[in-house]
This record gives sequence, C-alpha cells and structure tokens, in this order.
Amino acid sequence: MGIFGRLRASPYTIPTLKALSWVPVVLFVLENGVSPSKVEGRSMQPTLNPDSNQMKRDIVLLNKWSATSHSFQRGQVVVLTSPTNPKRQITKRIIALQGDTVKLRQGTEKVYVPKGHCWVEGDEGFHSNDSNLFGPVPISLISSIVTHVIWPPSRFGPVEVNGIESKRVTLGFIPPDSDDDYCW
Amino acid sequence: MGPSMLPTFNMTGDIILADHISGYFSEPEIGDVVVCISPHAPGRAVLKRVVGTPRDSVCFDVTEKERKYVNVPDGHLWLSGDNMSNSNDSRTYGPVPMGLLRGRVVARVSKEKKVFFDILVTYFLSCPFSFW
Repeated sequence: MGIFGRLRASPYTIPTLKALSWVPVVLFVLENGVSPSKVEGRSMQPTLNPDSNQMKRDIVLLNKWSATSHSFQRGQVVVLTSPTNPKRQITKRIIALQGDTVKLRQGTEKVYVPKGHCWVEGDEGFHSNDSNLFGPVPISLISSIVTHVIWPPSRFGPVEVNGIESKRVTLGFIPPDSDDDYCW
Repeated sequence: MGPSMLPTFNMTGDIILADHISGYFSEPEIGDVVVCISPHAPGRAVLKRVVGTPRDSVCFDVTEKERKYVNVPDGHLWLSGDNMSNSNDSRTYGPVPMGLLRGRVVARVSKEKKVFFDILVTYFLSCPFSFW
C-alpha cells in the first residue's frame, strides 16, 4: 500500500485536513483583525506595565481593523511604527490630532500639528521617547489600537481613553480635501 | 499619476511593477523609486525617488539659487520627484519615516518595450539578491 492509500485509510486524515483549512483564516484575523501582543518597556506606566519589575509584562489586545480607517480620537492608546527606527513598534497615547496646537511637556514652546499628522506621548513622561523628541508623526504609521488588557487577570479590562489635556492642547480643525483618499 | 515624476513616468498614469518584499531584508538605496504613503494624507500613495538615506546631508532645493543643506534623521528618507519644479515632496513635508514605505518600483509596464526592458535590467543589476 502506498503512502496515499495509507493516508486515505487512516481515520485521522480528514479531521486533520479540516483543522488545517482553518489556519489561513486564523492567520488572516491575527494579521488584519484582532491579535494579542506583549508590551515592553515602561513608557506607558501606569496604564500598561505598572510594575517596574522586568519579568512582568502586560499582554494586550490590539484592534488592527479599526486602525485602517485612519480616524482616531484624542486619548486613545495606539501602536505605531517608530519614526526613528522602522523595525520597532512603540505604544503611545494620542494627545493631539491634525490642526491642533500642543505645548511641549517641558518649556512653553508651542507646536502646530500639520495635516495628516498626530502628536503621541507616553503616559510616563520621564522614560518615554515620544513626540516631544521626534515631533508630530504621520497618522498612517499607526498600525493598531490597544483596546483591552488581557494579562495579568487582576487588571483585565478595557484600556481607558483619556480626555483631552485642555491645559496643553488647543483644538483646531483642517477640512478634508478631495485629494485625500486618492490611491495611486 | 500626476506630473511629479514626469520624465520617468507619465502624467496620465502608468502601470508599474512594485516589489513589496525586498524592503523586509534591505534598506532602500539612493536612486530607488519607491511607493510611499503620503505623510499629509493617510489614504494616498505617492511615487518618489530616494535622494537621501539616514545621516546624509541633502541639498534642500536644487532649483533655488541659494543652496541650503539639511541632515536626514535616523529612520527617515529624503524623497523627491524627478520633476523638481512641479512636485510635492520632502521639500514640503520634510524627511519621510521609513515606516511609510510600501514598496520599491521594479519596472514600468508600458507599451514601449525598450523602456520596460531598460528599467528591469537596471533594477536587477542593483538588486541585492542578484547572482551577478
């Protein structure tokens, strides 16, 4: 009996093939829908990784699907590609959107956030490489929204969306352009 | 599409062959034509030529008489259209983060076979995976 004949005779072949057919579905959802992820570093304390113990890392749920529309709210926690190192993903909170004016964390200098950009900061001001260092970042660098904390179970729950920091942010508005959604 | 890459690509639109994989293994080099998301509009992709890689000092505007030079920060690229007089490029939005790149243009798929062949040969001669 050849290998195919033996496979056909085996009672495990059909269930295994059925299970394997779900692999692409799962991969697609993890890549484009919802996926768990580990948070490194302490720039988002106390929201994420509140223990400074290096062994304990939070696991969060990322929503990649709702990031594809490029519409975000001020105060959301997002994951974006670092503008200074394209191989690194960083977790930050959106402070201001396009058209707003932000006062820097240190000093009184004000920065205008240009069209298509946003201002991101870590919750822990002293240990965070954020827009105070590299300026406003393009919105399309944002790959996903952090929605829930999954691990540890004691802090299981949604990540809260902070309000607008009215002391530092002056709201502005840029009307959408007909050219914006033009693709190639 | 658009006038910014005029001598190389048509104003009314060309069909191009873009390579989305080599960006994972190698960094773009000076002279590459890349597809990149516009920093001003997240839904829009633009086609530009790489003029400066990180830590280069790039001439801000060649068309002006006085030449100013800017440094390209880490993880950024200085992009420019081939048609400098009519192009929205790094002169308006500054250095572009590499995270916005979506691919490298391999060839123009057009009716003129010679142009297609030329661009293809130039690409494979500069390709990091080529065997020669």
